[in-house]
Amino acid sequence: MMPKLDGFGLLNELRNDPKTRTISVILLSARAGEESRVEGLDAGADDYLVKPFSAQELVARVGSNLRLSKLRKAHQEEIERLNLDLERRVKERTAELEAASKELESFCYSVSHDLRAPLRAIDGFSMILQESYGDKLDAQAHNYLERVRAATQRMSHLIDDLLKLSRTARSEMRITTVNLSELACTIAKDLEGTAPERKVTFSIAPQMVVHADASLMRVVLENLLGNAWKFSGKRAEARIEVGSTTNAGETAYFVRDNGAGFDMKYADKLFGAFQRLHSVTAFDGTGVGLANVQRIIHRHGGRVWAEAAVDQGATFYFTLSVQRKLV
Amino acid sequence: MTKIILLVEDNPDDEELTLLALKKSNIAKVFVARDGAEALDFLFGTGTYAGRDLSVMPAVTLLDLKLPKVDGLEVLKRLRAHEHTRRLPVVILTSSREQQDIVESYNFGANSYIRKPVDFAQFMEATKQLGLYWLVLNEPPP
Repeated sequence: MMPKLDGFGLLNELRNDPKTRTISVILLSARAGEESRVEGLDAGADDYLVKPFSAQELVARVGSNLRLSKLRKAHQEEIERLNLDLERRVKERTAELEAASKELESFCYSVSHDLRAPLRAIDGFSMILQESYGDKLDAQAHNYLERVRAATQRMSHLIDDLLKLSRTARSEMRITTVNLSELACTIAKDLEGTAPERKVTFSIAPQMVVHADASLMRVVLENLLGNAWKFSGKRAEARIEVGSTTNAGETAYFVRDNGAGFDMKYADKLFGAFQRLHSVTAFDGTGVGLANVQRIIHRHGGRVWAEAAVDQGATFYFTLSVQRKLV
Repeated sequence: MTKIILLVEDNPDDEELTLLALKKSNIAKVFVARDGAEALDFLFGTGTYAGRDLSVMPAVTLLDLKLPKVDGLEVLKRLRAHEHTRRLPVVILTSSREQQDIVESYNFGANSYIRKPVDFAQFMEATKQLGLYWLVLNEPPP
């Protein structure tokens, strides 16, 4: 107990100022109860000595606290050194990553430019053989040339899709308000335009508004709706539903179709690049779409998964967690 | 006077296919430069083309971006910096669809940007339209 500022007050001020925070403090008090000692130590004192005390004990306690204080200081310096080292290593890694990303960019550039040129030659000279030397070739030879050209087209699509995938990973995200309902309606109209003879009923829940990157969300919905459209292609009356469901406070958006579906035991393969669960003859595709969807959803901090059964249709769910960060 | 096309192309397959496509549509005389430096020599009458009649200029230059020695964008930049060639119609004809290539080409003054299709039938159609537009429809700079 002291006038004006008592011991606890002083201790409090010392502990609140970074400059004095680490000074060792021994409380000297006539209050001897266990409660007082606990209170003192809780308030940030390093030790508590009850009056009256002997000079010897005081010297011993001061000595012990000085030793502890020295140890603390050494630890502190070690932590600072480790932090500096860590910072340096983070900087190094960042530089390495930036270099790797640049390399990837130039690789993608080469892919788009250099892989395409030989393809054009293969297709071009095959076509010239068909057109200018066609009379010298039999039906079998014509069939082979057709297949050469079809394979060329397929590889060209693969290159395009590969580039799309790398662009998704590289592009900068701009988070805005995106109306998934409106976006889905636009994409549904586009799909209907590609095959007006098909009977497909779209049911799209209204006012699904999220915070996300608008152009990436378009890629997600284009892929999911495009898949629903494609895999329900053999249904006389196809149904495609877009909606949302809330589970434990988390909203998941879904795209559901009544199409070909798939066997759930292959579900883990769905989102791998170039993985396909159907043959090209059954359903066309390169196997990049869902890999792209997964990348985009992960970049938004969300999850994507599917539920399906063979011939019972499929439902693809995704969540977005940037939404919560913004609110 | 027959109009000429300058094709700047280093890939012999692409050169052959472009020439075949142009021939199929009965288009003009084509002059081929196999790298950017040769294209510049031809257009400025320098190097191996010293003393060339510079009143004969191509109605259109088909320029690839990725070229040995001097790349396509550099060729374009030098053409645009020179009074004699700054209005010369230049069409970028390339495999790349990189946003950056398209933007830079237009920034440096390309008149058009065409991505070579892999499908040869489409490529022929594109070449035919290209020739028709630049040699017949387009009014060249004086």
